[in-house]
Amino acid sequence: MWQRWFTVKGRSLFSIAFSLHRLTGIVLTIYLCMHLAYLTSIRMGKEVFESFIATTVTPQFLIFDILLILAGVYHGVNGLRLIIHEFGLAYESRKSILYISVAIALIVWLIASYRMYVFVMGV
Amino acid sequence: MDVEFKIKRFDGEKSYWQTFNIPVKKGMTVLEGLYYIKENLDGSLAFRASCRMAICGSCAVKINGKPRLACETQILEIGNKLEIEPLDNFRVIKDLVTDFEGFFAKHESVKPYLIRKDDNYEEPVELIQSPKELYAYYDFTLCVKCGICYSVCPAAATRDDYLGPAAITAAYRFNADSRDEGEKTRLALVCGDNGVWRCHFAAECSEVCPKQIDPAKAVQKMRFKAAIEAIKSIFR
Amino acid sequence: MMANEVNKINKMNKEEMHTKRVLEPLAWLFQLISGLILTVLVTFHFYETHFVSHEAMEYELVVSRLSSLGHKIMYALLLFFVVFHAFNGVRAILLDTNFGAKYPQVVNSLCFLAFLIAFGYGSLLILAF
Repeated sequence: MWQRWFTVKGRSLFSIAFSLHRLTGIVLTIYLCMHLAYLTSIRMGKEVFESFIATTVTPQFLIFDILLILAGVYHGVNGLRLIIHEFGLAYESRKSILYISVAIALIVWLIASYRMYVFVMGV
Repeated sequence: MDVEFKIKRFDGEKSYWQTFNIPVKKGMTVLEGLYYIKENLDGSLAFRASCRMAICGSCAVKINGKPRLACETQILEIGNKLEIEPLDNFRVIKDLVTDFEGFFAKHESVKPYLIRKDDNYEEPVELIQSPKELYAYYDFTLCVKCGICYSVCPAAATRDDYLGPAAITAAYRFNADSRDEGEKTRLALVCGDNGVWRCHFAAECSEVCPKQIDPAKAVQKMRFKAAIEAIKSIFR
Repeated sequence: MMANEVNKINKMNKEEMHTKRVLEPLAWLFQLISGLILTVLVTFHFYETHFVSHEAMEYELVVSRLSSLGHKIMYALLLFFVVFHAFNGVRAILLDTNFGAKYPQVVNSLCFLAFLIAFGYGSLLILAF
């Protein structure tokens, strides 16, 4: 059963990293489809596009933006960690690499979220 | 000191939790606790065990959510309340006994034995190996086939025919052996869509292995070799 | 006898299993490579649209970006790699299940089709300006 991909009880951080990688991957795939559909508005002319922007680039949507950035940044940084190991490097230090990658993901997420906040609020 | 053993039981139709209180002395293992229950409290409790010294790999069970060998886990190290369940990813036959037939069949399917072109059982010859060549694969020979790695693998949880960490590690152990000549055969065997490609490096197998073998490392190395071999085969 | 067995399997692998053996390794390798490229491209895409200025999403600017050749190439690469990475990822997830084990060809074809549709649909925008 697919629920077992997200088992947390009794598991190490590595399994949780895997669960989150899979979860964010699915979220980002759904977002990709939405993003491609959304961009159709550019082809439909200035008015349509600007009305789309006016509804989505708003403080109400900021929380979704920030969660999406978290998903994207986590998937990216954790993906780089996986690539290191899958190409056959540094298994022995995988624990410290995991901690480092989580730290990097959090830092990048905070910076990007702040910029997103500035961007949406237009400060 | 009395310790509570909460055991997940299965009688062939329904599964239920049953609690036993057993007197525990310092140094007593979970397996000894299970034997105590079987001998004094409930003779119908089923579990698998043999060597009591962590070399047969029979007694793997889930203790407080984490799979371990019951024979090398001391009760008081865990606490005074234990929840014991059968391993995940295996079909339960009765109580803590799970069906290992598929697991062993997968192990067998990767040809975990020396393959040599000059095999001659009438006049056997000694195969020389240096200590360095031995240590290239020695760690991976320590596997006791307890199934703990398989029980935590997220790919094995959803796909029944996935070879699993143990079988791929066994394949790697023989591929890394300087006396062996069957590398390509085994690479082909683990290269199907039920093989190495199902691993996504959750690395839980390496975390739980009671012999600290690092199956995840063996699977990654095997996959890298399989990928290179497959790409080379395009140009052949 | 063992030697015969080895030769037989080696021969079988060369002939019957050729395509089967190449798809999975290439998909795996390209998933890693596209992932590496995407970390760069997606970061740049986000930087360009959200970090530079608040006006980055005004219609005229969006259209001018879409009209320049450099951006067209960048968007085409981004689209190709992101759609591949997404649907190859979905393919890997589906193949992790018993359904995927039973119908691998269905999973492969559906994901390839999804890749084509998404890539084609996205290209319409790049080609429109």
